[in-house]
Amino acid sequence: MGTKEIYKNELRSAIRDLNERCLYSASKWAAELLMGIVIDEEKNIPVRNKYLKVDSSTRRRSRTDESSSAVGAGSYVSTPVRRDEYNDGMDNDYYVLAKSYFDCKEYRRAAHVLRDQTGKKTIFLRGYSLFLAGQKRKEEENIELDGPLGKSDAVNQELVSLEKELYVLEKKGTIDSFGLYLYGLVLKEKGNENGARAVLLDSVNSYPWNWSAWRALQSVCTTADTLNSININNRWMKDFFLASVYHELRMHNESLAKYEHLGEIFGYSNYIQAQIAKVQYSLREFDQVEEIFEDLLRNDPYRVDDMDVYSNVLYARECFAALSYLAHRVFITDKYRPESCCIIGNYYSLKGQHEKSVMYFRRALKLDSKYLSAWTLMGHEYVEMKNTAAAVDAYRRAVDINPCDYRAWYGLGQAYEMMGMPLYALHYFKKSVFLQPNDSRLWIAMGQCYESDQLHMIEEAIKCYRRATNCTDSEAIALPQLAKLHTELGRSEEAAHYYKKYLKMMETEEREGPDMVKALMFLAQHCKEQKRFEEAAVYCTRLLDYTGPEREQAKSLLRGIRLEQSSSPAMDVDPYPL
Amino acid sequence: MAGTLKQASAFTITPHKVSVCVLLQVYAPPAQISLPFPFSSVSQHNRLALYLLTLTKSCDGIFEPTLDELITQLREVGGLLNHWLTDHLTNKLASLSSPDDLFNFFSDLRGILAGPDTTVMDDDQISLDPTSNLGVYVRRCLLAFNVMSFEGVCHLLTNIGAYCKEALTSSAPYELPRSDDFSNAPETLEYENMDLENLVFEKVNAELESRKRSYERVSFHNHAPRALFGLVEDINLTAEPKLKNVDKNMEHSPFSQSDKPMIVDPSGENFLRTNWQVQGYLLEQADLIEKRRSSFSLNSFESILKQLQKQAPELHRVHFLQYLNSLYHDDYPLALEYLHRYFDYSAGTEGCDIVTSTTGSNSFGRYENALLCLGMMHFHFGHPKEALEVLTEAVRVSQQYGDDTCLAYTMSAICNLLSEIGISDTTGIIGSSYSHVASIGTSLSIQEQLFVLLRRSLKRAESLKLKRLVASSHLAMAKFDLTHVQRPLLSFGPKASMKLRTFPVNVCKDLRSCSRLISEFDTESELMITDGAMSTVWLENLKKPMGSTVFIQDNGSGNIRDSFRFCAQPCSVPASVQQLVGSSYLVRATAWETYGSAPLARISALVFATCFAESSSSEDVALAYAKLIRHIAMFKGYKEAFNALKIAEEKFLSVSKSRILLLKLQLLHERALHKGNLKRAQQLCDELGVLASSVTGVDMDLEAEASLRSARTLLAANQYSEAAAVAHTLFCMCYKFNMQVENATVLLLLAEIHKKSGNAVLGIPYVLASISFCQLFNLDLLRASASLTLAELWLSLGSTHAKRAVILIHGALPIILGHGGLELRGRAFIAEAKCYLSDSSFSVIDNPEVVLDPLSQASEEFEVLEYHELAAEAFYLLAIVYNKLGLSEEREEAAVSFKKHIIALETPVDERFLFDML
Repeated sequence: MGTKEIYKNELRSAIRDLNERCLYSASKWAAELLMGIVIDEEKNIPVRNKYLKVDSSTRRRSRTDESSSAVGAGSYVSTPVRRDEYNDGMDNDYYVLAKSYFDCKEYRRAAHVLRDQTGKKTIFLRGYSLFLAGQKRKEEENIELDGPLGKSDAVNQELVSLEKELYVLEKKGTIDSFGLYLYGLVLKEKGNENGARAVLLDSVNSYPWNWSAWRALQSVCTTADTLNSININNRWMKDFFLASVYHELRMHNESLAKYEHLGEIFGYSNYIQAQIAKVQYSLREFDQVEEIFEDLLRNDPYRVDDMDVYSNVLYARECFAALSYLAHRVFITDKYRPESCCIIGNYYSLKGQHEKSVMYFRRALKLDSKYLSAWTLMGHEYVEMKNTAAAVDAYRRAVDINPCDYRAWYGLGQAYEMMGMPLYALHYFKKSVFLQPNDSRLWIAMGQCYESDQLHMIEEAIKCYRRATNCTDSEAIALPQLAKLHTELGRSEEAAHYYKKYLKMMETEEREGPDMVKALMFLAQHCKEQKRFEEAAVYCTRLLDYTGPEREQAKSLLRGIRLEQSSSPAMDVDPYPL
Repeated sequence: MAGTLKQASAFTITPHKVSVCVLLQVYAPPAQISLPFPFSSVSQHNRLALYLLTLTKSCDGIFEPTLDELITQLREVGGLLNHWLTDHLTNKLASLSSPDDLFNFFSDLRGILAGPDTTVMDDDQISLDPTSNLGVYVRRCLLAFNVMSFEGVCHLLTNIGAYCKEALTSSAPYELPRSDDFSNAPETLEYENMDLENLVFEKVNAELESRKRSYERVSFHNHAPRALFGLVEDINLTAEPKLKNVDKNMEHSPFSQSDKPMIVDPSGENFLRTNWQVQGYLLEQADLIEKRRSSFSLNSFESILKQLQKQAPELHRVHFLQYLNSLYHDDYPLALEYLHRYFDYSAGTEGCDIVTSTTGSNSFGRYENALLCLGMMHFHFGHPKEALEVLTEAVRVSQQYGDDTCLAYTMSAICNLLSEIGISDTTGIIGSSYSHVASIGTSLSIQEQLFVLLRRSLKRAESLKLKRLVASSHLAMAKFDLTHVQRPLLSFGPKASMKLRTFPVNVCKDLRSCSRLISEFDTESELMITDGAMSTVWLENLKKPMGSTVFIQDNGSGNIRDSFRFCAQPCSVPASVQQLVGSSYLVRATAWETYGSAPLARISALVFATCFAESSSSEDVALAYAKLIRHIAMFKGYKEAFNALKIAEEKFLSVSKSRILLLKLQLLHERALHKGNLKRAQQLCDELGVLASSVTGVDMDLEAEASLRSARTLLAANQYSEAAAVAHTLFCMCYKFNMQVENATVLLLLAEIHKKSGNAVLGIPYVLASISFCQLFNLDLLRASASLTLAELWLSLGSTHAKRAVILIHGALPIILGHGGLELRGRAFIAEAKCYLSDSSFSVIDNPEVVLDPLSQASEEFEVLEYHELAAEAFYLLAIVYNKLGLSEEREEAAVSFKKHIIALETPVDERFLFDML
């Protein structure tokens, strides 16, 4: 209870700090989190309804009021005193003007107003405005400068001067954690990842509630080694960071554990819910993901963030109506978000209208050319359209953005396999299973590749299928394949073993697989050859339930079995007269 | 490509192009009389034109020169005018301060183009022909400017500002010699390891040389009046330091770039050259990497490529060069990665310009090329099994998609693979996958499969009219025919009549038709070469050194450079063709070696080393050098050979170590054997054996040679039974792997062993077998040497056979004297003398010169060769003859020499120091 109150107060003061510095997305994150904290006294009041009721303007006001009562929480107090910057009324007026300009997205004007101011906050805001102005110009130039060979290496023109200035400040030690955050951004933008990492680390260690700084730090911690090498002060914000990084590093279970732990306190946090859903999606637990997202949408119907994951789940489960509903909703909310386009693309793909689907994925990529899943999904669409060259190109771009995207590697393999180049495709399948060794589909694809007529490397195929059965092979493809291959190699014992396993699996799941007849037929014949007539008879009778030529075959088999049984004296007594 | 969101056009206006346009305006101002204002002479005027032409065409780097570089070059070109020119240029650029200035500038520029009715040429009017190179350039600039958006114009303006500013701020360091900062660069260390001459010096010198030469020839610029030549030469002499700068700059750029990334210094913006200039650069670099891989340092080239990739992400050929770079630096994972990336992006078609125009090719792309490349890569890394698997798939896929060209190339790649890899370890592959390739039964031996494949791929290449492929197939056929014994394909086995023989005529035919290629390319090259490649060739022509300097040192003979001129022609033969023709000469040399004509072999190797050294891979060149050095060793003794070897070792310091190393071991072994230093010989033999089974697979030829040499060593140590045992196993091995030609040598060796052990009768069948082998396989020199051995054997059976022996020797002498080395000749002379001496009907006193002449010849030859054992024998016989003749003084002299050699033989000097010295 006590800790929760402390967290709340910390977050409230953080929201104020962040808002003052125009770090709106971090402030949004903190505010969302604040509403996510479970308060025990308020148990009777449904928190979510309250959250929905609270008007944003009143929220802000109430927060500033409360902030006066903010108590520094034990060892975590680190917010520097800033009141002294406000003693001069004139300065404050400048600041307010600059902030208004900033809020109207007139960054250069904001920076210009603050040109001679010296306070830490003003320095930050000036630098931040300049940085954003440069970023904006850079984006524009990227489109203007699109050269003949696709060159678009526009740079943020403000970086050099900003770096110089911030460097001096840092050396002098007169830089606050926000200044450090800005410095980190500048360094990262310049490609100096190590420097950025160190500076951002300083920033989050001195002021942990700036989620944007954590995000920036995460973007420069791309391997487990760098993650272990950095030293983060032990604060609760660290857990959010670690959970997010673990997910990025594909340590899904660790990430999930962290989020669940955090969920005990921030039980109503949409952010955590969405993150858990994303991790579960990586673990392919679609049911849970769907549930979580349904929940989320109920609370936050205009949410667009992360909804592309939801649409992927809906796609995988072929929920036409739900997907179209989702697409409609995001389209109304904000049609020019890459996620929205992606969702619409998914919808069209599900409907089998691949050209339209590609159009929307392209739009998503135009909005964000580094949008990984759009590249991959577009590759899938091209595969569907049998345009393998385009598919290969799209997948390759995905892989070049993030070499850990096993789906894109898999897609590349598939594309090459479609072109009749299984040996070449193997390279890609290998990459993909290396990244995702517990996915049976990948192993099955690789097995099929080995098994193909061109290669016919059955031993290797068997190895792959065996790996697939070790993972959870929900579609039960690997087992009958294994049995079939073993039959080809004349190892009927093994084949029988796998067929039996297959039958058992079908029975427990109460399903009817396409290979059932084959399995039963093989087993019947096999048992008959092995002189296990009762068993053979059982399989034959099961076969009688099916229509088709096998039924007749089974009948004749049964006849043969009876004949043999009657001829051999040991088997004279027929316990199952049919 | 479908995945790209960007529309690719080819040409953008950069500040550098604006500068060129300014200069063009100076060159051809609108409405002027014949000689425009600043120029005082026609030559001055033409000089500028030539310079502008070079600017628009050269492809020696990826970036356009900065204003500084341009000004420095202008200074050298402009002569008296340089101040005026640079001032004019900078002023003009500085005056472009608003978008409107640019608009005006470009509309003025239109004025220098001639109207459409160019057929009526007004002599006084200088105007650019719109279809000329410079005219097209201007038109492209105009077009690019016209399609530019206002934002683009603004950017151009800022860029021009930066371009000028940089020149003003950094003009000071350009006064300093560039070599300073070159020596500071850490890269120099690396370059010092390799031969620096090759890189910079040779380039520059050779450039100068070749320029001179190319301008002496009229063929360059046929239309240029003769009076121009002096001028042109003048330019090039002055331009030399400039080019040096450019060269160094290029090597240097990765460092300067990485030291100060562009963000730090926005004025340091670089602009890519036009698309085909960059492509030309890449092509040229690809050529260079394949030719001399070690002159590229992995990282520096990689960083150039990285930069290029950043500047032009849609130029996929960069990935291919990255692949080549890592391939030739033996980085397997990286090479694999880049290869896949290249083909994923390019779909097997070339860079972006061509991609847009490949409407002819199907949407599928041409991924079978990827397989072909992958196969070659596996081959390069010594994974024959993988290579064969991949190539099999390539065959299947290209059949499936009807890509005959790729199929043909794949077939020849498979042939290459089969003939190169050790025959011993292919047996595993033949089973499953191989049968797809040739669809012939597995019962055929690998040679037969290879033969069938070769025939098929040759036929295919011929029907597809792929000239290069035809030539290389012919070459492969020649190589195959050389050592492999043909027999009827379908009727073999013990009962079928075995017609084992080689066909020199076929080899000759194949080689001839391979060389014919060069003449075909002479006439058709214009059609074949694309834009980018053309500029490469154009530049190559200016740069091409004539023959290699090292070779001249090596040979001591003067002006070989002049002997080869055709590569100085402006319309040059593509490098790949030259390489192919070059290797045909190499095969020719090998052929003559096996057939036993030393002078012809030497001439072929010489032709190769003089004419094709530049365009061939360093491995081939090393092979040619090895052949020449072996020749020297055979005919001039070891001292000269080792001197030559030292030069060769320096030249091929890091390149193809193995070839030269092998040669060294061979020479050292022979020498140790001759000097009687048997321990050393054995040691060297073992080292050779180690070389034979390297990581990449067993080299059967080398393996055979190693055991042959060890048998020789044992023989020299008088361990007859051991020697015979080794020779027998060798014979079995050669038989097993169908190396019939080697067996002739082995049989001869067995005969020699028996001869030495005193079992002359046992030796005779072996030598007879050897002779018949030699006859079948056309190994003339070996046959001569076998008949010499036969004569020796007869002789050792007793003096009654001396007559027969002498007849045999006389039969073999013409070939021995014409083609044989020192050792063979000496042996023949001694044998001849011995025959006479043992002949009872022959009296020394009657005609002493019949015996004395050959003996003294033999003693001289063996002394040169330092072959103590036989030299001692010669002197011994000489002493006996002198004794009989009563010439005591000469006798004593011979005896002293005899003693000297015997002592040297018995106390072998440890020659380790010599070994270390080398």
